[in-house]
Amino acid sequence: MHWRPVYAVLEREVVRMMRQRTRLLSAMVRPLIWLFVIGAGFGAVLDQPGVNYQQFLIPGVLGMTMLFGAMLAALTMVYDKESGVMRMLIIAPFAHYWIVVAKLLAAALAAIIQALLLLVLLAALGYITADMRFGLLAAALVMTSLACGGIGMLVAAFTRTLDNFAAIMNFVIFPVFFLSGSLYPVSRLPAALKFVALANPYTYGVDLLKHAVSDKLPAGMGADFGVGLDFLVLAGFSAAALIIASWRFSRESAYEPMIHILTGKRGG
Amino acid sequence: MNQASDPPMAVRARGLVKRYGEVLAVNGLDLDIPSGQFFGLLGPNGSGKTSTIHMLATLIRPNGGTAAVADHDVVRDPVRVRGSIGLVFQDSALDRTLSVAENLRFAGLLHNLAPSVIDERAAPLLDLFGLADKRRQPVGTLSGGMRRALDIVRGLIHHPKILFLDEPTIGLDLPNRRKIWRFIEKLRAQTGMTVLLTTHYLEEADGCDRVAFIRGGQLVRAGPPRELIDQLGKYVVEIESDDPAALAARLAPVLGNGLKDGDTVHFRYADEDVSRLAELQSGLGPLVRALRWRRPNLNDVFLWVAEGRA
Repeated sequence: MHWRPVYAVLEREVVRMMRQRTRLLSAMVRPLIWLFVIGAGFGAVLDQPGVNYQQFLIPGVLGMTMLFGAMLAALTMVYDKESGVMRMLIIAPFAHYWIVVAKLLAAALAAIIQALLLLVLLAALGYITADMRFGLLAAALVMTSLACGGIGMLVAAFTRTLDNFAAIMNFVIFPVFFLSGSLYPVSRLPAALKFVALANPYTYGVDLLKHAVSDKLPAGMGADFGVGLDFLVLAGFSAAALIIASWRFSRESAYEPMIHILTGKRGG
Repeated sequence: MNQASDPPMAVRARGLVKRYGEVLAVNGLDLDIPSGQFFGLLGPNGSGKTSTIHMLATLIRPNGGTAAVADHDVVRDPVRVRGSIGLVFQDSALDRTLSVAENLRFAGLLHNLAPSVIDERAAPLLDLFGLADKRRQPVGTLSGGMRRALDIVRGLIHHPKILFLDEPTIGLDLPNRRKIWRFIEKLRAQTGMTVLLTTHYLEEADGCDRVAFIRGGQLVRAGPPRELIDQLGKYVVEIESDDPAALAARLAPVLGNGLKDGDTVHFRYADEDVSRLAELQSGLGPLVRALRWRRPNLNDVFLWVAEGRA
């Protein structure tokens, strides 16, 4: 395998993302709404001295940007299946699992770019200061975006059309976001929800982000797990998702009907 | 088999089988396409043409038989096969949101070409098809003919040894079809590229070195177009009648089984001398509304093969 085909997929993703201004704009507006509307609202309700809920939300909204960014980028795989682009990919001279690898990397890259843009915005607003752990933050961005890309590739590999995008939104993206440590510390969740949050790989991405900005988090609302565990879960999940999605995509029963969609059945 | 005297084969298939559930799309197909040949795979809808091309292009797996493309086995070595071929599908394989140049860059990079090589190769091709001034335009804004031309440029950007064209000119107007064929002809002359074509426009297949007709996933007839046409007969006689069934029955002992097409029945006529046809017409009297004869063409071969008569 050569690097140029992977680069081609990454470049296309970035070009398309930069061209879709509304996609980029909503990727910035969505977390800011959470931060300023939900954050301010809950902050007022909580009303505990010394607890700044908005500060607590910073890792959560960073994670949210990556989750949505990676998911939308990964789901372009389904769009590619419906349009002609997948034809270019499946006839290119490399094993088909490379398509999944390249797409996952492209989704992660899109997520990282969006998170960096949000970081710039947050810094301009004074929420990010120079005293955070930037090395850990960089690692958290990479690991979380890969895991989010992995979730996206799993969904994309098992989805034929984008007709059920709303279902994906409701049954995948929202639960993954809500049932993580993004909006509340995992340790304070009721047992059942806590169990789901612990099984959610995205939880560990948000946790890693909390480590990176830990000095800013209110007392008692810091990270729930160790950095090592976060890394392990994120890396393990990303690898597993990559393998399962590749396997699913390479399986003939999965892509043969797709080839019929792609190529039409005219002319037999 | 005498390896030394045989020409190198671009495509060699033996007993190729493709099954979709109960349906046998391809049923024990043998195919030999020597390097450099312009080969037409013809047959009615659902005859197995596209399934065959997809197996040869390693996009679907055969359920039986073997096939080698550019001397690489399609099952064991699909990546090498894909590296040797270009493929133009029935439907466009382009990103409509990207520009003309970006699409070619994407396709070229996927084939591991350097960006400078892609630009170098794309420029004359885009010139030829009048796309040079549309390089920055999104593909979605191009006309159908231009998109098709770009799709073919896309399939050729990596200079494949073997080009698979699956109904490449469907939906194109005549000037664009001509342009594409002239271009492919030139490319073949320059590079010795092998071309495997499926088409519904049989006049396009006239230019093939060899054509094969398939029906029900099996090869029923193959040869140079001229030969197949000559085998059909010297003339095709078309007789219009108010009662085509009765006409066909009357003439079957004289002219063989006819091919009904609405009010008209087609017969093959093996004799160079057509004077007998006048007698025939007067003998049939009011059963004949009109009678004409003409030289057969590949369309006739197609029709007779499709009916299972040839």
